[in-house]
Parts: sequence; structure tokens; C-alpha cells
Amino acid sequence: MRRSIYTALTLLASGAMATTAYADGETIAVFTKNQTNPFFQAVRVGADNAAKTLNAKTLHYIPTKPDSIPEQLSQIEDVVVKKPDAIVFTPVDYKAMVPGVEKINGANIPVVNITDRSAGGKFVSFVGADDYSLGLETARFLLKKLGGKGNIVIIEGVKGSLTNVDRVRGFNDALKENPGAKLIASQPGNYQRLQALQVMENLIQSNPQIDGVLAANDAMAMGAIEALDGANVKAQVIGINGTKEAVDAIKSGKLLASGDYNGFLQGCVGTTIAIRTLRKQPVVSEIVLKPTVVTKDNYQPYDSSVESRSCPTWDEALKLGGK
Amino acid sequence: MTDVTKPALASPRAFVSEDVIQVFYRLLAALVICVVLSLLSGSFLHLANILNVLRQASLMFFIASGLTLVVLTAGLDLSVGANVAISACLAGTVIHQTGSPTLGVLTGLVAGGVIGLLNGVMVTALRIPSFIATYGMLWVLNGLTYWYMAGGIVHGFPPGFRQIGSGYLFGLPTPVYLLGAFLAIGTIFAQRTVWGQQIYAIGANPVAARLSGIPVTRRLIMVYVVSGIMAGLASIIFLARLNSAEADIGESLTLPAIAAVLIGGTSLFGGVGTMFGTFVGALILTLVLNGMNLLQVNANWQPLVTGVIVVLAVWLDMKMRRRT
Repeated sequence: MRRSIYTALTLLASGAMATTAYADGETIAVFTKNQTNPFFQAVRVGADNAAKTLNAKTLHYIPTKPDSIPEQLSQIEDVVVKKPDAIVFTPVDYKAMVPGVEKINGANIPVVNITDRSAGGKFVSFVGADDYSLGLETARFLLKKLGGKGNIVIIEGVKGSLTNVDRVRGFNDALKENPGAKLIASQPGNYQRLQALQVMENLIQSNPQIDGVLAANDAMAMGAIEALDGANVKAQVIGINGTKEAVDAIKSGKLLASGDYNGFLQGCVGTTIAIRTLRKQPVVSEIVLKPTVVTKDNYQPYDSSVESRSCPTWDEALKLGGK
Repeated sequence: MTDVTKPALASPRAFVSEDVIQVFYRLLAALVICVVLSLLSGSFLHLANILNVLRQASLMFFIASGLTLVVLTAGLDLSVGANVAISACLAGTVIHQTGSPTLGVLTGLVAGGVIGLLNGVMVTALRIPSFIATYGMLWVLNGLTYWYMAGGIVHGFPPGFRQIGSGYLFGLPTPVYLLGAFLAIGTIFAQRTVWGQQIYAIGANPVAARLSGIPVTRRLIMVYVVSGIMAGLASIIFLARLNSAEADIGESLTLPAIAAVLIGGTSLFGGVGTMFGTFVGALILTLVLNGMNLLQVNANWQPLVTGVIVVLAVWLDMKMRRRT
């Protein structure tokens, strides 16, 4: 961490000295975890959008097998040879990819870390959302709606994944603030909608009274809603990610809220920082997006495809949570 | 020539005694799980929960039933999960664009069948081992689905269509009727038709089967097409139950389906197994998950418990069979 702040400071200093004469058309290699999750699609669209605005090019590296550690490692070996001007990097695993990051560092390619914070390696800066506070704020919103009481179910994501650990921790801390609310079950749905549906169907069998469901992602929240609807159980449900599907469900009143994980902004800002670094413009060491809960009152800006959105300017980006 | 074919054809004929005993022990394993669960959880033995378990087992059974035929021929279809994913995404898009659930259902079934046909051709005409051919197919399908969906989700279907997955008829969930129907059709097909018996014969001894005049190539292709169509059917049930689909839904479906077939007593070496056994296999896997949810087993321990129970079920079964 200290290292990356140091890098940022030197960049700030050199940025002040450099003139504005820089070359366009840099190539930014963007690493994402998989092709299946809409979140990473949004990251890529954001990265492309930022690059286009700033006259740079992106090159996407996506493992064909979702979240494959060996595949991302071999993609890094590939990229170290091809030498793009800068890299925007999401590790498929925050610990296992550290040797990969060190390889990039060894090749002296500036790299910006987005989404999942790497456990090691040197980065220009980190851009991400705070899963813990997203979980906390979204759960708080649901508990407030229920008046701080009721029977609550947590549907967890993939065990051991960083996002899941933090989101569930946020859920549990929100529950601790509301002693009137009772956690009746915390069961795994592995971020899959079918598994969440079945878990919810099973839990309804043993708990006829369920008032609130905290799901660690939107797909599981939607699966839970199908199960609740099928059994005619009225409960409030929240998810996390702010996908288009979730926004549609919020609009129609099926889903109470979704924590906005905003992949689009992460892609935008990460890529912008990479390009600014190359152009010797000032950057910051860290931008952690402030948690936003998408609800019936504020869904409008999210009710559009990511392709039709545009990236924030640098000043706007700093206000999103810059340090 | 007749001497060679006789043992191959004779063993499935004798299924009435041997296979029924096998299935009986597996059913016993499922019953033991049920008894244990009903002692541990008061809500297990309710009719609502039993219907719930059957409905959940149905999706896995649809995939596993087609797979059973493939495994009976000593083959394997690793592409079933990826097949469900692409068929669901295609069917969902067709329903959205045409507004016709019928066209959507047809798309899902045809897509599944065509993929099965391609698998069958690879295994027979190109003589690629089924494990490799369908493994390759799995990647091709994943690639196509990722590209086609581009990280998107297809969701929101007409209520009439959704009845297939989440509706009730005379108090029973629709998928349970489909489960009963396909279990009956599958059992009759495998055990009471010439084609079914030929499949057993091919699995028991492919050379003898060919020499005895069974059209091995055509039967093998048929088996993969059926497996594909059943994956297509599963994709329709998935869409109708969950009201949406995305590219990564298939990954968590393949291994449990293969496990259901094997727990159900179908041999990976071919020639031995029953459709009803596969149903019991799917039931055991579903019961374990249902039980863990009802008993609120900690999420950390659930994979471990599943693994132990699966291995125990098969081991107990093998032990009891050796004794008889």
C-alpha cells in the first residue's frame, strides 16, 4: 500500500513538471475474471468507454474457463511479451495471482488494480467498491423497511470468495444493529440462481414466517423471489450488484433494493487512471466507490444499458470516493 | 455368432431379478436418509416438502435420464450442462423476440437435439472417444453462449409458459408430472423395447452387438440425440422455473447429473443400470441438500457432508450387493 502511495506521489510530482504534449493511441490491456458475469461485461464496457473518450485502445484478456487461475497466469505471460502501454487488472484470485502481478512489475508495465484488491505486487492505484459497506448499507435499508424486526434469511455466495466474505460480514453487522431482527438461516447459494431458488424453497418448508432475505448477489435474490412467489410468502428481498435485471425487478416492486457494485464505473476509472499515468497526469492511489443502494426512489440512472452510459470526468471520478 | 451375442443380450433380459434388487437397495439408502431426516427435522415429512424435493429432483433427473442411456453404451456426455445453458439462452431469446412460448420450447428442444446429434457424429463417424468429443463440445458451447449473451441475462417470460416450471395441476407441481412421465417412458424404452435392449447390448459388448446385426452407429447417435433433447427439456424447465437465464447456469449441473447416474447404479463400463436407479440417484442428491437446508448445516460444511454421503451411499450399496 505504502509503495503504491509512493508511486502515486512521484507521478503527481512528475505530472506537475510534464508538459501536456503526450501521444494518443496507447494500448491498455484489460484483465477481467470471466465472460459470464454481467458485472465484468460492465467493467469492459466502462474500460472501452474511457479509452475511447481519451483516444486510447483496449485489449481484453478474459479466461475462457471462468475465474481460471492458470489461464490468467498464461495470459499474463502473453501480455508481458506483447508489452501493452499499461494494464488494468482484476485478479481472478487475490492471493494466487500475486506472482503474476510481480511478473508484470518485472516487465515495468504500469498496472492499475480494479475490483478485487490484490494481496501483493506494485500497483499505480486501486479502484473498487467496498463489498463490506455495500452489504452493510443494503441490509440496513431492508431492516429499516421492516422496522428493525422480523425473520431474516441470508443466502451466501461462493464460499471463500473475497466478495462473499465481505458482503455477508456486512449483512451480519447490520443484523447486529437490529436486535429485533432474527437471523433464522444463513445458507449457501454459490451465486447461482437455481441453487438460491432451491435453498429458499427448502427454508420455506421449515420456516413459514420469513420477512426478509439478504442475498449476496442479484441472481440469487431473483432466484429467492421466484421461490417466495411460488409459495405465496411475502418477504422483502435485497441483492447486490445493481444488474439490469435487478433494476427491472426494483421498478416492478419485486425486489426491494440492490447494492450498486458498479462495474461500469470501476472499468471507467481504472482505465482513466492507467491512461493518465502514461500521460504523466496526476492520479490518486485509491478510489473506493462509496456504497449506493439502488431503490425504487433512485433507480432511474441505472435503468439504461451500460452501453448507453458515459464515463465520469476525472473531477467527478475523484468525488466518487478518491483518497 | 449367436454364441457371442447371447450373453450380451441375455444379461439385460434377466434384469427383473438382478436390477430390481439393485434398485431396491438404492431405494433403501434413500429411505434411510429420509428416516434420519424426519427424526432430525419436524418439517421434513410434510407433503409440501416431499413435493418440493420431487420438484427439485426433476430438473436433475431430466438431464441424468438422457445421460443414463449414454452411460449404458459405455459412453459419457460431459456437454449436458453447457447444452442446458445455450438451449435456455436461445429458447429465452426466441420467446422474447417472437412472443411465442411454443416456438421457444421447440427451439430449446431442437437446439439440444442438434448438439446431441453433433456429439453422436463425433463419437461414431469420427471415432472420437465420447469423453473427449463431449468435453470439446462443452467448450465450444460455452464459448458460443458467452459470445451470444455477452454477459447479459434474458429474463421475464409469459405466465402461461411459466406454468411448465412453477405451476400446479391438481395440487401437484407440473415438473413432478413430467418427472413421472419421463421416468415411465424411459423405463419402458430402456427395458421393454428392442432399441432399449440393443443399447444395453452395445454397452455390454460392442463387438458382439455389431456382429449380431445391431445398427451400432445409428443407436449410438440416437443415444446422444436423446441426451441432447433431454438437456433441451431441462433448459425449458429451468427457464420456466427461474424466469431467466444467463450463460453460466450450466456449469453446476453436469457433475451432479453424472453423479445421479452413477449413484443410481449405472456402470461407467456400460451395459448395466436402470432409469429408475438414476431417479433414485437424483433423489438422494436432492434429499441431502434439502436436509442440510432444513437442519441449517453451516455453509462451510455442506460440500463435505454431500461428499461423505455420496461415497457412503455407493459403498453401502456395493457391500450389500456383494452379500446377496
